[in-house]
Amino acid sequence: MRTTTHLLAATAGVAALALSACGVSNTTGGSGDGEEYPAGNVEMYVGASAGGSSDLISRAVSKGLSDELGASFPVINQEGANGALAANKVAKAEADGQTIAIQNASLFAITPLAVSADEATDLGDFDVVQGVSRDDYVMVTGPKSGFKTLDDIKAAKKKVTYGTTGVGTGAQLSCGLTYGSAGVDAEAVPFDGGAPALTAVLGNQVDTACIQVGEAIENIESGKLTPLSVFGPERVDYLPDVPTAKEQGLDVEVAQYRFMTVPKGTPDNVKDAIAEAMQATFKTEEYQAFNKQNSLTPMEISGDEVVTQLEADKKRFADLVEQYGLNLGAS
Amino acid sequence: MDVNAFLDGFGLVTEPQNLLYCLIGVLIGMLIGVLPGLGPAATIAILLPITYSIDPVSAIIMLAGIYYGAQYGGTITSVLLRLPGEASSVVTVFDGFALAKQGKAGTALGIAAIGSFVGATVSILGLTLVAPLIAGWALNFGDPEYAALALLGVLLVATIGNGNKLKAMIAAAFGLLLATIGRDSFSGAERFTFGSLQLTEGIDFVVVAMGLFGVGEILYNLEERHGKPHVPAAVANIWPSRKDLKQSSGAIGRGSVIGFVLGVLPGGGAVMSSLAAYATEKRISKHPERFGRGAIEGVAAPETANNAAATSSFIPLLTLGIPANASMAMLFGALLILGISPGPQLVEERPDLFWGVINSMYIGNLILLVLSIPLVGIFVRILRVRPAILAPITALITILGVYTINNSTFDIFVMIVFGLIGYLMKKVGFEPGPMVLAFVLGSIVEDGVRRSMLIFDGDPTGFFTRPISGTILAAFVLVALWPAAKAMLGRRKAATVAEAPAERDNVDTPTR
Repeated sequence: MRTTTHLLAATAGVAALALSACGVSNTTGGSGDGEEYPAGNVEMYVGASAGGSSDLISRAVSKGLSDELGASFPVINQEGANGALAANKVAKAEADGQTIAIQNASLFAITPLAVSADEATDLGDFDVVQGVSRDDYVMVTGPKSGFKTLDDIKAAKKKVTYGTTGVGTGAQLSCGLTYGSAGVDAEAVPFDGGAPALTAVLGNQVDTACIQVGEAIENIESGKLTPLSVFGPERVDYLPDVPTAKEQGLDVEVAQYRFMTVPKGTPDNVKDAIAEAMQATFKTEEYQAFNKQNSLTPMEISGDEVVTQLEADKKRFADLVEQYGLNLGAS
Repeated sequence: MDVNAFLDGFGLVTEPQNLLYCLIGVLIGMLIGVLPGLGPAATIAILLPITYSIDPVSAIIMLAGIYYGAQYGGTITSVLLRLPGEASSVVTVFDGFALAKQGKAGTALGIAAIGSFVGATVSILGLTLVAPLIAGWALNFGDPEYAALALLGVLLVATIGNGNKLKAMIAAAFGLLLATIGRDSFSGAERFTFGSLQLTEGIDFVVVAMGLFGVGEILYNLEERHGKPHVPAAVANIWPSRKDLKQSSGAIGRGSVIGFVLGVLPGGGAVMSSLAAYATEKRISKHPERFGRGAIEGVAAPETANNAAATSSFIPLLTLGIPANASMAMLFGALLILGISPGPQLVEERPDLFWGVINSMYIGNLILLVLSIPLVGIFVRILRVRPAILAPITALITILGVYTINNSTFDIFVMIVFGLIGYLMKKVGFEPGPMVLAFVLGSIVEDGVRRSMLIFDGDPTGFFTRPISGTILAAFVLVALWPAAKAMLGRRKAATVAEAPAERDNVDTPTR
């Protein structure tokens, strides 16, 4: 089956090459150092198992890159430690652009708050090439909880439970900061990913939960879950009626976003080739439909802008966590 | 249920194109099921790009076929090579491999195929008729219920073994301990990882099972058969005899129901179902001592149950938008790519897809049954291969299989370590079954209890006051006290028990 996939990808690649022969000569002609990129298959690591949003995004981009650059970009799932294992693979790989990965902001900005220092992944091991998209969190509650708005929760008489997608995730941080800054007595219940957290809030096992918009949206639209707040800088296009936490007077802004990384010291012409191919992918109808279907908001900013935002977020989260005395883990 | 939509769905499936995709899907599924390691989730991921170019309904029919087709294939390695490819087929190994050694591999595989077909079909009927109802019930099943159910499972683990009870308990305790390896999912603290990032996610089930069962068996055989001439096992009878069928019919019936009900529960449903089905058969059997030595019910019950569970795990996906396992998560992703959001509105928004997929399963399972029978005849010939050739091939399969789970060479070494442990355990009379099953259940128990305590705000009485968890715990007490009660009854019925051994000898004699 692997062979079949490769064959298919190769056929697609050849077709793409033939079609865009003039376009390619532009990209490589400018650099002038004679190195062709890509030289054979490019391994794209994903720090999550097949089927999750990280995996699906990598596969969508992988398809675009193969079409644009005419090589195969096989996605390799290396699950574990919130993505640190996949990050390690890329950090240790040769800096030639043949090993790349789309990584999650949470691994750099949030996970270090929850795990010991020697386990935290260092952004300095990578060059960030290109921003990809933002994946927003939404706080939801079930119909039997008795809550309809964030104000109801602020006025809650009892301890409120909230499900999260795990330790060191943006879901934990967004819910935790909301309750912390609102001064509500609450208990975090970490689940192993979004699906069990969704199940628990649907079944009224927990009062509220913070999960990714894409995972909750079907149940929100059918009225089985009530959305209370989103946590992005502005409202999410897919849930236009749900106010942000900021609008509701809480200083909480948390989002998951993803970006393409290569090993530190990768030549500029390689990085440019990847960035250009990604931008071309972003323009395709197919990719835009993919974003919409998965409730992803494009965040197609440059690598430098991603780094600036990551550094800012990391500091902001650390300060907020300290201010509200949140305990994300056993660091 | 909308009868017209249901019939339209059947019409859709019988279109030649959809029949073809269904056939391709189940064939691929069966083949990857035979290879331990590369599971349906990974296969669906690899084939995902193909779905861009074909009709959504056909694509999902094919991908679903891969998933349930793999359930059939998994049995083959469990029975023939003692390699359970997934947690839900561990219990099949006990009696399946024993039957294979007696030259009845064909019977075991035949009954497994028939049981799988019946279990899956019963489950699809359930899916057709009561999906929304049972999905609502599954939501009442929270962490306290999981904790109670898995605790009951651990108790069953200790009783399903056939050897020394104390040794089974020790093995199970070791399995529970192994389950604690990795990052604590509640506090982020490291447990028994010795600073290794590879161990932060814990050890994968397949790595443990391949090592203990597969590699352990290879090592043991090398010693055992050294110098002895190779006598090929007789594999004459592929079709189960009428007696076998009669003997397994009860097990298949009960397995179907147990599998359907437990399979709906997201997370751990399939493992629990095969374990519960096996334990039920052993408990109600008049001759429980036959189990583990080649009882056909011991293959029929878990195989029926895990196929029924695999099918009913579509219920949470199609009616609630909740993927119950990794393969369902992959299908969820595939549906999104095709522009369909699985969830409560699916049946109204896309009745063609909902009923098309469900109805394709009736046909897919029929295809699988028809395919299985001749294939069984081919697969059982594996047993005629000399151990000197078979053992390295098996070793290669396990190594490849373990590597494909996570693309990790580290896992291969972990598996070899477990192989050595498995070999030593067999030498000193410990069974690997309780250890592997306790390993799987351990994290469910721990997570369930700890999450429940957070939900209950530290008050353990919540376990008893919730109706479902209270009932399960009551069952736990009954099962725990059963041996004592039986001993008392036994004294009264001493005369009838005396007849048992004679009958047992009849049943156990291999028909060659």
